[in-house]
Amino acid sequence: MSFLIPCPNCGSRDVNEFAYGGEIAVRPEARPNVRELGSYLYFRRNVAGVQREWWFHRLGCEAWFQAERDTRTNEVLLTERPRASRDEAPPGPEAPALPDTPAV
Amino acid sequence: MSELEFLSTDRTRTGGGFEPVFRSPLADALAAAGPDVRDLSALGKVEVRGDVEGFDGLASAERIPLTPGRTLFLCAPEETARLREALADPSRTVVDVTGALAGLELRGERLLRRLTDLDLDGLPAVGAVARVTTIVLRTGEEFRLFFPQEYARSMAEVVLDAAAGL
Amino acid sequence: MRLPPRPQERIDRSRELTFFFEGEPRHGFPGDTVGSALFASGRRVFSRSFKYHRPRGLLCCSGQCPNCLMQVDGVPNVRVCTMPLREGARVRGQNVLGSLDRDVMSVVDKIGGPFTPVGFYYRTMIRPRRAWPLYERFLRNVAGLGKIDRGAGRTRRFDTEHRRVEVLVIGGGRAGIEAARAAAARGEQVVLVDEGLGPGERAAGGSFEVIAPARALGIYEGGLVPVDAGQVLIRFRARRIVVATGAIEQPLVFPGNDLVGVMLPGAVRRLTDEWSLRPGSRAVVIGADERALSVVAELRSAGTEIARVVDLRAESPRRIAAEGKKGRLASVLVDGEGLDCDLLVMSGGRQPAYSLLAQAGARIEYDAGRGVFVPIELPASVEAVGAVAGELPSGATPAATYEGGGKARGKCFVCVCEDVTTKDVRRAIAEGFDSIELAKRYTTVTMGPCQGRLCQLPSVRLYARENGTDEAAIGRTTARPPWAPVSLGLLAGRGHEPARRTSIHERHVQLGARMMWTGAWRRVHSYGDPAGEVRAVHEAVGAIDVSTLGKILVSGPDAAAFLERLYPNRFGDLRPGRIRYSVLGTDAGRIMDDGTIARLDDDRFYVTTTSTGADVVSEWLEWWNAVWGMGVEVVNLTGALAAVNVAGPRARELLGRLTDLDVSNESFSYLDAKQAHVAGVPCLLLRIGFVGELGYELHCSSPYGEYLWSTLLERGADLGLRPFGLEAQRVLRLEKQHILVGQDTDSESNALEAGMPWVVKFDKDEFVGKWALEHVRERGLRERLVGFEMTGWTVPPEGGQIVVDGRPAGRVTSARWSGELRRAIGLAWVPAALAEEDAELAIRVDGRLEQARVRLRPFLDPDGERLRS
Repeated sequence: MSFLIPCPNCGSRDVNEFAYGGEIAVRPEARPNVRELGSYLYFRRNVAGVQREWWFHRLGCEAWFQAERDTRTNEVLLTERPRASRDEAPPGPEAPALPDTPAV
Repeated sequence: MSELEFLSTDRTRTGGGFEPVFRSPLADALAAAGPDVRDLSALGKVEVRGDVEGFDGLASAERIPLTPGRTLFLCAPEETARLREALADPSRTVVDVTGALAGLELRGERLLRRLTDLDLDGLPAVGAVARVTTIVLRTGEEFRLFFPQEYARSMAEVVLDAAAGL
Repeated sequence: MRLPPRPQERIDRSRELTFFFEGEPRHGFPGDTVGSALFASGRRVFSRSFKYHRPRGLLCCSGQCPNCLMQVDGVPNVRVCTMPLREGARVRGQNVLGSLDRDVMSVVDKIGGPFTPVGFYYRTMIRPRRAWPLYERFLRNVAGLGKIDRGAGRTRRFDTEHRRVEVLVIGGGRAGIEAARAAAARGEQVVLVDEGLGPGERAAGGSFEVIAPARALGIYEGGLVPVDAGQVLIRFRARRIVVATGAIEQPLVFPGNDLVGVMLPGAVRRLTDEWSLRPGSRAVVIGADERALSVVAELRSAGTEIARVVDLRAESPRRIAAEGKKGRLASVLVDGEGLDCDLLVMSGGRQPAYSLLAQAGARIEYDAGRGVFVPIELPASVEAVGAVAGELPSGATPAATYEGGGKARGKCFVCVCEDVTTKDVRRAIAEGFDSIELAKRYTTVTMGPCQGRLCQLPSVRLYARENGTDEAAIGRTTARPPWAPVSLGLLAGRGHEPARRTSIHERHVQLGARMMWTGAWRRVHSYGDPAGEVRAVHEAVGAIDVSTLGKILVSGPDAAAFLERLYPNRFGDLRPGRIRYSVLGTDAGRIMDDGTIARLDDDRFYVTTTSTGADVVSEWLEWWNAVWGMGVEVVNLTGALAAVNVAGPRARELLGRLTDLDVSNESFSYLDAKQAHVAGVPCLLLRIGFVGELGYELHCSSPYGEYLWSTLLERGADLGLRPFGLEAQRVLRLEKQHILVGQDTDSESNALEAGMPWVVKFDKDEFVGKWALEHVRERGLRERLVGFEMTGWTVPPEGGQIVVDGRPAGRVTSARWSGELRRAIGLAWVPAALAEEDAELAIRVDGRLEQARVRLRPFLDPDGERLRS
């Protein structure tokens, strides 16, 4: 892999400077049952297309940010600093995937 | 104690049989280096989290923005205390990182190209130099590197080796 | 052997260079390559083929084919046809048993046997099994090309360089130079790289930079183009890439097409024009395009007699075969007509060198009209110019494969690199390898040093004919980097591994410490006597460098709320100046790290982590801070501070000598945090006890770590102070049943089952991992981490099995001999039912079962009296 990621703080850099933080998942607001918890913890949409994900600029500004990346081409369409605040849940996929089996 | 005194390098006390010695992390590593490589580890370095937009407390300090909320200030060693005081503000987190970062000055764009893929025309910047997170500054052909002090010997080895290969 | 001076020649005849071939002096001129100088000296056999050890001579003379691979100055597999000649160069043949001219291994060509057909290694040497080592030794000897000079690592050096460029032009032919000039004229910064000697500074005219000889190895995402420039790997990041790699002349396939004296037109042109050499005395020319046939004029000017010209556009011979004597061309048969000659110039048309474009994502399609593959639909920011873009003379007749017929039964090579013949390909097809990708892997066509440059198209043509279909339907194999062979040393670079050293490192070395790696850190294993070091901590005082501990400042108005929400333990009610331990859990309830947290004041907490967990925890904290957007700053101070743990019954006495701070137990109690000067150095003092004795962790700015350490050792000498390392610490903490995250826990462990329910505050509204731990509590504990002591004297191995009813039911995570207890002790995961004081455990040690008893409380000082004293 050698694609470039435009870090919101540092500009365009080699992907190897970054740590991948995974696809953005919606954290349950109230206590989930085992099935919901398993879904949140272990199931991702894994789309062939554009997804929103977390990245950490480990060999750079050492800040987290979010990116929209096309998983087919590794083209990073946009990056932005996290928008989350105390009242706002982190942005996530439109519909979380459902697991077939409980994970706990 | 509101100040985090144990983070500062300029708050030691001599007396009672004690004479604390500041030892640069590069002290041994640069023994074999030529005159083109200088140890800048003793420079005052203060990291600020928070807004420094309107700050003009110490004109002689050099300001390196890292992210919108994070700025590194560089100053002469004897000015560090004044810089910390000037920056102190309830809205900011001020951390003396003098002891945290080793500093190295070296010459030559070609040498830097052997160490990092950073855009050398777009400095200052933070990036990987010899696979270590490093703040890189440039003045003409002079480059200054600031990086975690625990990598000092490792970094010096790589830099001197790369220079030998030119 | 040279022709009279010619207008375009590259050589400088005013000066002579001397080099050595097989130890014998040879001569050449500046401007020669090793190959041209050898040719000038009369050498015609340049190598022996991979499998059959057939003599091979110059074929492409442009660095594409494997025919001139030699050892030069100890470096194997050098293409001498493009290697500039150096004074004193030492050149040797390779892949021979004997010499290039008399290679004992060439017997393989005559007798063949079971070891030559395609895929033989899948069918032979299977039985008997005990002969495998013999087979291996045999194959190791015959496989591969060249000999690696084992001493070269010390003498050769490879560096990596990073370059940014606006336009990178790959290929220094006419089209490449034009593209570079045009870009430079637009004011763009241009670098041109060329595999050969390059267009020269004159062509560039100072408007762009030329690097040659330099091979582009691939085009990767983000405009990354690694370029092999000999001793330096240049990693170009280009905004725009212009590929001008040209087209490659394709050999014809007919019996004897590998004989010495069979050449491609480009080789003839270079030998005559650049080095003023006569490629042969009597020639037959067979070609499919104007460019190939135009060598006739060049040959005539060099004094070569032309025996016959076959223009494949005008005539379609059914049979072509070359015959040789001792591997060298003697005559050519065209439809039965015998022609004596020592040179056969052949060309099956020119194939655009599209590999780099295909790697970059271009679509490659077969152009039936011209009989070649051409790139279409280029990705953004990649351009193709010249022949590679398909700018070739149109209407070239697709060249086919020719049978010899009659007496001509010579081998008919599709792939000269791997010695694959048409017979091999037919055999593979007969065995069912109908897909070109599968057939490639089976026959190894395109997998040799030329990487398909000279064999991809001929093999596709052959597959098409044998399968009764066309080339477009057969398709091509995937192009992958590296496009050109590259030394592994160049890819490896200088091989420095970043290492972290504490500011006290040099002192440890002086004390004769045995160092070990923990993550990227260099740490002290011991100072030679771990047992003595343990004893010193129990009986007097010891000091250990714990600068590697993760140290994170969490500050801001929401700091307490943030930690309360992140850690299972409670921190909101922690008083300033006090310390509390906690594990750190994930939302899955797993233990990811542990450490102590000291509250410095209302808004500031000093969080410590394990040595290897510092970066992970720091990123974890930053991440939750980004998710929650609380008023918190997370500052990783790990390297900023040195830390020394001073522990043992006489630790207080030692500390009292170094500070004005009241160190009495009343004013500086267990789990207190204070700031004070120690030996004149401002420190944060944490009274904690990982090793189980009265102890203080002293944290100070890194540049004073060495001074603090030396002062402690000096002032503590009369108290019996000894420095101790990780091994002693492992024993000491085990006596207290203090866990090591990652050693005693894994990615499945949670705090409840790890025996630390007191650290989980279920009555808090929320904390990361609460939901999962609630589910664990409800389903009940399945296994438990418990202490054990052995009944006998054996120390079980870490990872050893706990056996219940003859079946594995748990495992030992830590085990050591405790000199203090005179027992073997340890920690183990056992089924929850066995987590009872005195329960008997059976542990497998070297196949035997050894008995142990469960101990739920610390082995030593179970009530923590020493810690609190």
